[in-house]
Amino acid sequence: MSNNDAPASINTAPKTVFSRIANLTLIAAGFALLAMTAIQSWQVFARYVLNQSPGWTEPLALIFLNTAMMCGAAVCVRTNRHFAFSLLIENVAPKVAIALQKFSAAFVALLGVAIAWGSWQLVLGDWAVRMAGTALPEGSRYLPLSVGGVLIAVFALEKLFTRAPISRTAVSSASTSQAKP
Amino acid sequence: MTIFILFATLAILLLIGVPVAFALVGASAAAVASLGLPMILSVVEIASGANSTTLLAIPLFIFAGEIMLHGGISARIIVFASALVGHMRGGLGQVNVVASTLFGGVSGSAIADVSAIGGTMIPQMVERCFDRDFAVNVAITSALVALLVPPSHNLILYSAAAGGGISIADLFAAGMVPAALLMLAVMATTWVVARKRGYVAEPFPGMQQLLLRLVSALPGLLLIGLILGGIRAGIFTAVESAAIAVVYALMLAAFVYHELNWRGFVALCANAAQTTGAILFVIAASGAFGWMLAYLEVPVATVALLQSIAHEPYTILLLIVISLLILGTFMDMAPMIIICTPIFLPVAKAYGIDPIHFGIILILTAGIGLITPPVGSVLFVGVAIGKITVGEAVRTIWPFYLAAAVVVLLVVFFPALSLWLPAVLR
Repeated sequence: MSNNDAPASINTAPKTVFSRIANLTLIAAGFALLAMTAIQSWQVFARYVLNQSPGWTEPLALIFLNTAMMCGAAVCVRTNRHFAFSLLIENVAPKVAIALQKFSAAFVALLGVAIAWGSWQLVLGDWAVRMAGTALPEGSRYLPLSVGGVLIAVFALEKLFTRAPISRTAVSSASTSQAKP
Repeated sequence: MTIFILFATLAILLLIGVPVAFALVGASAAAVASLGLPMILSVVEIASGANSTTLLAIPLFIFAGEIMLHGGISARIIVFASALVGHMRGGLGQVNVVASTLFGGVSGSAIADVSAIGGTMIPQMVERCFDRDFAVNVAITSALVALLVPPSHNLILYSAAAGGGISIADLFAAGMVPAALLMLAVMATTWVVARKRGYVAEPFPGMQQLLLRLVSALPGLLLIGLILGGIRAGIFTAVESAAIAVVYALMLAAFVYHELNWRGFVALCANAAQTTGAILFVIAASGAFGWMLAYLEVPVATVALLQSIAHEPYTILLLIVISLLILGTFMDMAPMIIICTPIFLPVAKAYGIDPIHFGIILILTAGIGLITPPVGSVLFVGVAIGKITVGEAVRTIWPFYLAAAVVVLLVVFFPALSLWLPAVLR
């Protein structure tokens, strides 16, 4: 799955745990994609066959959109698939490159925690309000952001502490496998 | 001062390799802190950045594109294109261009295009004594057509970045004539270079073979009509058409072409999920950055700055095109659309330029950045398939850059090329 899995010399226990978390995260993201497809297809079916326009489809589809986005984004931290500029890292001394990568991982972890904390406040703040069109609490809208923030922090910390720094070659190859334009 | 903090933080974070999405969040958080506003505002804006129903179309079209990529459609399109244009000067090069255009109409992604079509065509071209640099250059330039035709998720991204007020159906229609122009320009360039280098053509297989191959490729190609026709006829919305595209692609790959098994399906779901995460998280992050731009009145300042430099709409457009071409050399497509749209679109509007016309110019110009060094993801994939260096590809690519530049200029100076078809179909 990952093109940057840690070399064999690194303790395999944390790698297995993180790989499992990443796999579960991807399963959740894949499920969210399928759920969005099913919900939007149901909307068409309900409109033309059942002659009704269900109100729950849009808010629910948006929750799954956020789930797919945050789960996908978290795994992208681990697999280096986020859009990034690697020019400087590719052209500085290896020690500097490693330091920059570590700083980047720490910064991403910090933002992951901030997103998780901030969106959790929004979850709590809007939990008592009912979401229009569904029986779900309004606060559930921010739940994927909160969980995703935690996962981003987890995978960034994995890069910071337990995984080998990315080689220059890996950076170059990662840049070729970035998200699709 | 806060504007300086915003852009300086962004520039520093990007330079040291922090992913674009996190750099956008970090820069806006720094600006929020300097203004003494509550930090939770950044999180609220991230949440609202991803809270648009228009965005639902993006992961679904990405998902459909993945299924098409691995579901056997590209192979059938190549076989059909081979019968259609393989006998022209440049042979397999022309096949590559037409196949890329047709597959672009199914996948809507330039990287999917160069991976699927280039991945098959470049090795075949090399085997038939075409030079590697030529094979790569044809494949990567023709892949850009995918950015302009439905179901291009970059056009949806532009609509979302513009605030969702621009019709996706109009954008889909607006891109078709420029896409056809780009295809013809690349075909003409292929013809000229092939003639100069003495490349051979393929024999014409006959009308019967042509029709048989068309029938085989037709179920996949019907998706273009299904999406555009469905939206235009008001049968479904752009988002619903994306879901229909997923279901159609899945049925086609699994039950008609029999080229998709469970293992392959799981792998493509994982890939689609990561692509979705990378693109949508930039959009969500840009919610915070875009809000800060508006709060600091950066678009207004940009309009004032450009008004002090030039007064003619076309001069402004050319200035924007040059800026986009420079930015495109080191910036990827999605972040560029997300960051540049809120800055340049108000300028274009202030000069009376149609947002649809501007959107096509933006996508086309940003697309050229995908095949220019030092950062060009389509270029990287192409040279990896062709097993040559970036330098070897770029040394002989200039006729193709020239062709793309001519198309950009035509689209800039003749708005009807973008605006005629949406008006006819409306």
